Amino acid sequence: MIAFSPDEDQKMMVDSVAQFARSTLRPRIREFEAARALPEDVRRTAHEMGLGLVGLAAEIGGPGLGLLTAVLLEEELAWGDPGAPFGFGGPGAFGFAVQELASAEHASRLLAPFTEEAGHSRFGAVAWGEPFAPKDRAGLVSVATADGDHWILNGEKAFVTNADRADSFVAFAQVDPSLGFRGLGAFVVRKDSPGVTIKPRATTLGLDVASFGSLVLENVRVASADRLTGPTAPPSAGAIDSAFNGALIRFFAKNSLVMAARAVGLSRAAFELTREYCDTRIAFGKPVGHFQAVAFTLADRAMDVDAARALVWRAAWLWDTGAPEKDALLATAYAVSFAHESAMRAGDDAVQLHGGAGFMRDYPVEKLMRDAKQLQLCGMTAEHADQLAAALELDLPLDPGNILPSAESQNAFV
Amino acid sequence: MTIEFSLTKRQEETKAAIHNLAVSVIRPQSLSWDQNHGIPNDFLQRIAMLANSLGSLSPHTEVSREPEATADASGTKKNKGVNVSTIVGAEELAWGDPALLLCLPGPGLGGPPIRATGTQEQKERFFGFFKDISTELRWGAYALTEPGAGSDVAGIRTSCKKVGDDWVLNGRKCYITNGARASWNVVFATVDPSLGRGGHRAFVVEKGTPGFSVGKIEDKMGLRASETAELVLDDCHVPAENLLGGEAAYHTKEGFMTAMKTFDNTRPIVAAMAIGIGRAAFEYACTFVKDHYVMTRPIPRYAAIAERLARVGRQLSAARLMTYRAASMADHGIPNAKESSMCKAMGGQAAIRACIEAIELCGAEGSIQADHRLLEKWFRDIKVYDIFEGTGQIQRIVISKRLMTNLRAF
Repeated sequence: MIAFSPDEDQKMMVDSVAQFARSTLRPRIREFEAARALPEDVRRTAHEMGLGLVGLAAEIGGPGLGLLTAVLLEEELAWGDPGAPFGFGGPGAFGFAVQELASAEHASRLLAPFTEEAGHSRFGAVAWGEPFAPKDRAGLVSVATADGDHWILNGEKAFVTNADRADSFVAFAQVDPSLGFRGLGAFVVRKDSPGVTIKPRATTLGLDVASFGSLVLENVRVASADRLTGPTAPPSAGAIDSAFNGALIRFFAKNSLVMAARAVGLSRAAFELTREYCDTRIAFGKPVGHFQAVAFTLADRAMDVDAARALVWRAAWLWDTGAPEKDALLATAYAVSFAHESAMRAGDDAVQLHGGAGFMRDYPVEKLMRDAKQLQLCGMTAEHADQLAAALELDLPLDPGNILPSAESQNAFV
Repeated sequence: MTIEFSLTKRQEETKAAIHNLAVSVIRPQSLSWDQNHGIPNDFLQRIAMLANSLGSLSPHTEVSREPEATADASGTKKNKGVNVSTIVGAEELAWGDPALLLCLPGPGLGGPPIRATGTQEQKERFFGFFKDISTELRWGAYALTEPGAGSDVAGIRTSCKKVGDDWVLNGRKCYITNGARASWNVVFATVDPSLGRGGHRAFVVEKGTPGFSVGKIEDKMGLRASETAELVLDDCHVPAENLLGGEAAYHTKEGFMTAMKTFDNTRPIVAAMAIGIGRAAFEYACTFVKDHYVMTRPIPRYAAIAERLARVGRQLSAARLMTYRAASMADHGIPNAKESSMCKAMGGQAAIRACIEAIELCGAEGSIQADHRLLEKWFRDIKVYDIFEGTGQIQRIVISKRLMTNLRAF
């Protein structure tokens, strides 16, 4: 039965998160932006509300609410401040990475520190991206070489969300150089391991509350037990050629779906602020929203918000209900591209319809426009989501090299 | 209440049944219907009987606001989820042939205004025409558009004047779907153009009424199997009992509202049909690309093709969800004028993009007309889906009025 209303439990959670976004996040967005981080009191409240682990499964220490509930809450948070959910203590992308790539027991151990009282100041990260592609083969420049019951990691990892805040990373490196993107390995790396150098964070266009940075791995020793090999069960979708690659793509998909939910929240915020401005700003004797060129633009953005949200909901629902993985991946790819692109249009039109005022930092819309572009580069870009969607539409094998962000195509912040 | 995206078992079965019919029976004849400007009556009869037996998509069905199971004046059973069922069926049927649903016998677009405004006696009389479709096929139609008034419905000039017991109508109606074959047309006219919407009256004009005649049958870009007629009203004498709702119904702005109510209810169906046609073109393009391109080559050109396919796929998917939402709101008795317009605007555009992109991706071959190669036909058929039942621009006006405060007109 087709239905579009959150259930009672979801409504209650959405209401309380919306209240938090309205009273705590929205009024302080410029303060957070200037501080380039969330203050401790906000992080503490978010931690008490359990927002850092939302979306993770119960068997690994998450609340087990399902992705559908998670995207409902992420939309509200991003409505308050699109940067904020990056700045709460919590595992972030690290959570989805270990959920998909590690055993449940291993993942629970890795996530336990985030559930403790001090979790509001603990971060996780995923070291996927690299500044350059290898010249002579496909895959990653970073390599992992076996050394007895250890692996030795060498390379430079870039575009890492919360790199300078994280205690632990899932770092990706080439295990078998002859297999390109099908020969990667995932390793748990700790900040204080010898050979790990965290570089200073970058200054970015938007999402200042997040921290985007990089790290260098120099002969970093990782115990074999900390190599994450994906589920032992065979992959559910025939198109995915190994359990590890299946888990890798699922990780990117779910993490990106959360970004898409944030994009919906951002779009809604931009739309609402702009609608209100156009309702009250008078020109030529009437509200500017009473001119068709303006009103039609608002109508288009309203459609964008609603359609992006429906796509995000459906993708999350497919994951939660155990639908065939290809269906869930396709719906996710659609949701990610659509939500990212509509957030950019929402931010752009928000500034445009505010006119000169929109360009001024007195108004929040210029921040939303910068955040929208930054958010489009988080998780998976619309371009990569399109490659994923097309591969599924055409029944092609899912090649991580084609559908995941990388230096040889287009990097994204993971 | 919950968030859910699965169809009911019955909806899945209906969808599968219509799909099988579309593959085995409808598509093989689609091009010949287009070339012959119509669908043979014996085929329409079989489909109509079948649609009735499926319960959904009977010619009497339009999106309804009634949340619970009721039987309306035409005797159609309405059950829970009927609006979603209707759009699921409409998408599938249009996937088979874009004109078929429009050609099905029954009251068509004339049904909603009668249901919304007609007196009990009128409902029984006019829906009575369709009681037995096993012997004779009959149609109803909806005549609003004029040469000088399309989207600007308030600007109609067809006049009506009470003379004795009759109303005398004068004017021309154009682009009327099934207008020539219809047993009756719901005709909108005005007692005085200066009164705007307040001057509007709706009449059921029966075939054979003195002064009523059919003008030209239009030759169109697409949907050529569907009849589009011009109607001429030349001192047409309509009995007073055919004034829809009776004189008392027009003391408010109801006349105009009657015209508009029709659209709130039918826009999701038109959106679903558009999506069905867009999906047909999209699937055609996917198959073509699979057969003709080597997609695993990491050449930028192929990435661009992949991106275009993905874009079409996601726009159709987004529009479908918007359509489900509008229909699901109607199933729950929630007003959905804004959402209906949203899905209509998105559905029409997504489907047009799908057809345009599909032809481009298939190259020269995509534009060739041949049996089992219906892409060029869909390209011709789809354009009007962003025009009839309110253009994309009109949908944006409807949406805008519900976004801005105190915006009554532009």
